[in-house]
Amino acid sequence: MAYYVNRNLKMTWWERSYIPEILKGMWLTSRRFFYNLFGFIPFFLGTEKDRRIMTVYYPEEQVEYPVAYRGRPVLAQNEDGQPACVACGLCEIACPAYCIHIEPGHNTGKQNQYERWPDVFNIDYAICIFCGNCEEACPEEAIFMSDDCEISMLDRKQMLYTKEQLLTPVADLQKRIEFTRNMYAKWNY
Amino acid sequence: MWVDLLITLVKILFVFAVTVGFFAPVLTWVERKQSALMQDRIGANRADIMGFTALGLFHIIADALKMFTKEDFIPDGANRVLHTISPIIALVPALLTFAVVPFGGQYTLFDKEVNLVISDLDVGLLFVFAIASLATYGYVIAGWSSNNNWSLLGSMRTASQMISYEVTMGLTIIGVLMVYGSMKLTDIGAIQENFWMWGIFLQPVGFFMFLTASIAENKRIPFDAPEAESELVAGYFTEYSGLKFGMFFMAEFIEMVTIGAIMTILFLGAWHIPFLSSATLLSWFDFLGTTGSNLVLMLIHVGVFFAKVCFFIWLQMIIRWTLPRFRYDQIMKLGWKILLPLSLANILVTGLVILALN
Repeated sequence: MAYYVNRNLKMTWWERSYIPEILKGMWLTSRRFFYNLFGFIPFFLGTEKDRRIMTVYYPEEQVEYPVAYRGRPVLAQNEDGQPACVACGLCEIACPAYCIHIEPGHNTGKQNQYERWPDVFNIDYAICIFCGNCEEACPEEAIFMSDDCEISMLDRKQMLYTKEQLLTPVADLQKRIEFTRNMYAKWNY
Repeated sequence: MWVDLLITLVKILFVFAVTVGFFAPVLTWVERKQSALMQDRIGANRADIMGFTALGLFHIIADALKMFTKEDFIPDGANRVLHTISPIIALVPALLTFAVVPFGGQYTLFDKEVNLVISDLDVGLLFVFAIASLATYGYVIAGWSSNNNWSLLGSMRTASQMISYEVTMGLTIIGVLMVYGSMKLTDIGAIQENFWMWGIFLQPVGFFMFLTASIAENKRIPFDAPEAESELVAGYFTEYSGLKFGMFFMAEFIEMVTIGAIMTILFLGAWHIPFLSSATLLSWFDFLGTTGSNLVLMLIHVGVFFAKVCFFIWLQMIIRWTLPRFRYDQIMKLGWKILLPLSLANILVTGLVILALN
C-alpha cells in the first residue's frame, strides 16, 4: 500500500501571489512584537508585577514544580531530629541502580522511642536514576523524592550524599507525603 | 576653503559615528532582542557588569571583546593574501555608499550653505550601485580563497544571486529616475517635500521590488542561500574567525542601514515630514534668528531621516524573523522570471503615464 504525499497543493490565485500571505505572516509576528514590547514597559516601571512573556528568567526566577515531580530523593527527619528511617533496607533492594548504601544501627538496652536507625545512609546521585522506587518501597514514609533538581557538581565524589546531608524536616515534605499516600493507596499496600 | 574642509570632515566623522559607532554594534543587540520579542522570549540578558545587565546591551561589549581576542585563523592551503583582504573588500563598499547618501537638506548656518551630504555627485544613484556591486568581489574571493567546499559553494551562490538581483534593482531604479528626472540623491530628496510626490505613491510596485532585491543583495533570510547554516556551514565565511568574521558581520549590518537610507531617499520622502514644508518649520522657529532656526530645522530633518531608516531596519528584521528560506531554484525563479519582467513592465507603465500626463 503506497503512501501518497500530495505535493501539488491546489493554491488559490490569492495564495500564489505570495505577497498577501507574506504580509499576513508579518502582521502576526509584528503583532507579537508590539504586544511583548509594550508588555515589558509596565514591568520595568514596576506598575505591573508580571511580564507578559511566559519565558522564565531561570536562575533568578523559578517556577514551582508539580508535586509529582521527582527530584533528588531525601530522608525525612522527624520533629525531634531523628530520621524516620528504620534501616530495613527495602529501598536498597528496590533501587535498580544500586545507589543506596545503608548500615543499620539498633537500640542496645536503653529503652527509648527508636528501636532502629541507620548509622550510615548514603545516596550517590551520580548513579541515581530518579525512578522513585525507593519511595514506593519504603514502609515507614522515610524516603521521598524532593523537588530539588539542581545537583550538578564539579567533582563526582561530592555527589555521594551522606545521612546528614540527606535529612530534610518532615514539614518541608508535607505535600509530597500526602501525594504519595494518595498515589500508592490505589494498590492497597 | 579650510571651512569647507572642516565641514566635510565633520560630516565624514558623523557618518562613521552613526554607522560603525552606533548602528553596527546596536543592530547586533536589536536583532537578538527583536527576535526574542517576536517569539515570546526574553532575549539576550546574560552579560552583566556587577549584576547589572542593561537589557542585554553589554552583549555588544562582550561580542567585541570576543572577536578581538580570538585566534586569527587561516586554514591550510588558503591563499593568505586574498583570505585577508576579502573582508575588507566586503566592508569598504558598504561604508563607501554613504559618501553620496544625503541625511538632510541644505541649511544656512553662519552665512554658509551647508549641504548634509559628504559628496553631492551628479550621478549619485549610479555611484551607489557601482560601489554596492563591488562588494560581490569581497564575498566571492572570501569563499574562493579559503580552500573549503562549503565556502566555495556559498560564494558561487552569492555571485549568481547578487548578479541576478542587481538586474532587477537597476531596472527598478530607472522607474524612479523617470519620475524624478534626476540622478542626484539630494535632488530626489528635495522633490519629495510634497507628500504626494513620495516615491511610494509614484512607484508602488517599484518599492516592493526594490525592497525584495535589496534584501536579496544583503543576503539575509529569506534570501540567505549563500550563508545557509543548515546547508553550507556558514557559507562564504565558514573559515573566518576573530575580527575578519566580525568585519563580514559588520558589513551585513551596515548594508542594512545603507538599504534603509536609500529606500528612505527614493521612496519614503527622505528627510521630510508629511504636510510640513521646510519653510513652515523655519517660520515656526523664526525667533531664533537665521542660524538658530536653520540649526533646529537641521536637527529635526536628520532626526526624521534616521527615524525612517530605523523603520526600514525594523521592517527588514521582521521579514528576517518571519519568513523561511527560499530554495535556491526559487530564488533564481523569483529573480529572473517574476521580478525582471515585472520591473520591465513597471518601466513601460511609468513611461506611458508620464507621456499621457505631458
